[in-house]
Amino acid sequence: MSKKKITTSTGAVVKQKPLGMRIWNHRGYYIMFLPVLAFLAVVHYWPMLGIRYSFYQYYTVMAPKFVGLQNFRNMFATNQFWIAFGNTLLLSIMKLIITTITSVVVSIFLNEMGNLFAKKSLQTIIYLPHFMSWAVVAGIFTLFLSASNTGVLNGMLHDWGILDPKTSISFLEEPKYWRTIFYIINIWKETGWGTIIFLATLSGINPELYEAADIDGATRMQKIRFVTVPALANTIFTVLILNLAKVMNMFESVFVLYNASVYRVADVISTYIYRQSFGTAVADYGYSTAVGLFKSLVGAALVLICNWASKKGRGRGII
Amino acid sequence: MAEAKAVYKKKKKFSLFAVINYAVFILIGMIILLPIWKVVVDSFSAVGVYQFKLLPTQFTVDGYKTILQTGALYRPFINSVITTLVGAVLGLVLSTLGGYVMIQFEMPGRGFLAFLLLFTMIFSGGMIPEYLVFDQIGLKDSMWVIVVKHGINVYNLVLMRNFFEGIPGSLYEAAKIDGCSPMGIFFKIVLPLSKAALASIGLMFAVTVWNDYTTPRIYITSNDQTNFQYKLRTMIMDGDTPTTQYVISTNTLYNAGIVAAILPFMALYPFLQKYFVTGVNIGAVKE
Repeated sequence: MSKKKITTSTGAVVKQKPLGMRIWNHRGYYIMFLPVLAFLAVVHYWPMLGIRYSFYQYYTVMAPKFVGLQNFRNMFATNQFWIAFGNTLLLSIMKLIITTITSVVVSIFLNEMGNLFAKKSLQTIIYLPHFMSWAVVAGIFTLFLSASNTGVLNGMLHDWGILDPKTSISFLEEPKYWRTIFYIINIWKETGWGTIIFLATLSGINPELYEAADIDGATRMQKIRFVTVPALANTIFTVLILNLAKVMNMFESVFVLYNASVYRVADVISTYIYRQSFGTAVADYGYSTAVGLFKSLVGAALVLICNWASKKGRGRGII
Repeated sequence: MAEAKAVYKKKKKFSLFAVINYAVFILIGMIILLPIWKVVVDSFSAVGVYQFKLLPTQFTVDGYKTILQTGALYRPFINSVITTLVGAVLGLVLSTLGGYVMIQFEMPGRGFLAFLLLFTMIFSGGMIPEYLVFDQIGLKDSMWVIVVKHGINVYNLVLMRNFFEGIPGSLYEAAKIDGCSPMGIFFKIVLPLSKAALASIGLMFAVTVWNDYTTPRIYITSNDQTNFQYKLRTMIMDGDTPTTQYVISTNTLYNAGIVAAILPFMALYPFLQKYFVTGVNIGAVKE
């Protein structure tokens, strides 16, 4: 057993105890970690063994049969798979860009608000939708956009003479409107929550910068442009990197808002996997596991790339 | 004189900006609140209208009575309450234990355990392998699947670890010298000093479990095991409305359902807002 010299927190150099003894001394901690390990094993590591099914044909009623790479060949030859992959990237990245912009703008103006009470009240209000579930938000907006006589948007369009009162549009079932609605709902739900991290950065800006700008005769807009926005650049980079790593995870927000009429514009990888597994009469779990593996691998690559970019850009990784 | 003029000019400009700023923010506040207010008003209205009204049309509480008296609706609600409470406790137990062990820097094998935790943030087995495992251990069609799935959350565990790391090491040393065991230190020193973090992370677990729709959708088929989010979504989107003794419009029932689904957290939110928000800040600072 090697006896390394180590430096303790007080700076004294002592000889490290033998490994066996160090393990024995930490026995209490290993026992405390056991429950965590058990859940980690069941929820995360055991399922990883199931990845082997991506090389099998696995209809629920029959025993799995090894088919090599056939599932992956089928997957890459399936149009709906590529549509779902494209939609995943498009919807996630567009959502990320749009909500980041709205969060930055709102936090800049929130930061300019002089009255502290007004500022706090508004913060309370705009954080609120973040805590609502996607099922609830989908419920609210489904009723809001419905073609029934209680649908707000149809009613207003009728009143304003934009839409013939005899016809109504079921907005969530129209492929040409679906993505726009999806982005707007995301803005409504997540903009406020997104401001927290930017407001924290803004409150850390040295006031002397603003005073210097005052002396130079800068207008308020100029101060925002030349002091506030540059100060936010690093935080914006961080937020983008953190969320780019999660691009493949998009699921529940789409899952609660999409329907069969808009698969072309709304279907994402995870919803595609769900339908392949639970939405058909004869599900091939092998095929959906293969699609899941593709998703996990692309996701892992994105995390590692973003981690690398984060280390380069701000000297710190994201994991 | 010139100086005074300049100050005056500046002040005037400021107030114009402030007026615009406040106007914009009243608008933003209304955009957030109007849909929620409409849901609340409609839940008390016997007649559904598309217009925004300040008060209900033909006031009624039948929507809420229906939820309270129809087993197909209150059973999922109770399930949601149970899973949320148990899920928050389990989540806190696992993330505090894990976070505490992760700051034992001299513990042999700590690096390996940390790797086991972090690897799950990069790679996962996916939806179907996970489904097959939960099916095998008998959690299919059981509400406990929601608790187990969300109980271990590596992100929250790391937040907890970061918080514990901020506790002065001299406190641990002193307790060790006094002969305190790891468990003793954990209960007597670590947890009492972490009340704010416990509240904040406990709330994050509670919100996640309460709001979960996907897990019951994948795993649970029987009505007495599902949760309220799932019931609400199938009711509104798929028209799966239970038969009740009340003659009410579906619109009233749907809106009452939405209010019931957000009520617990909306009621707590104004009082606990700081705990809702601090979690992000612990994360943001350390991330």
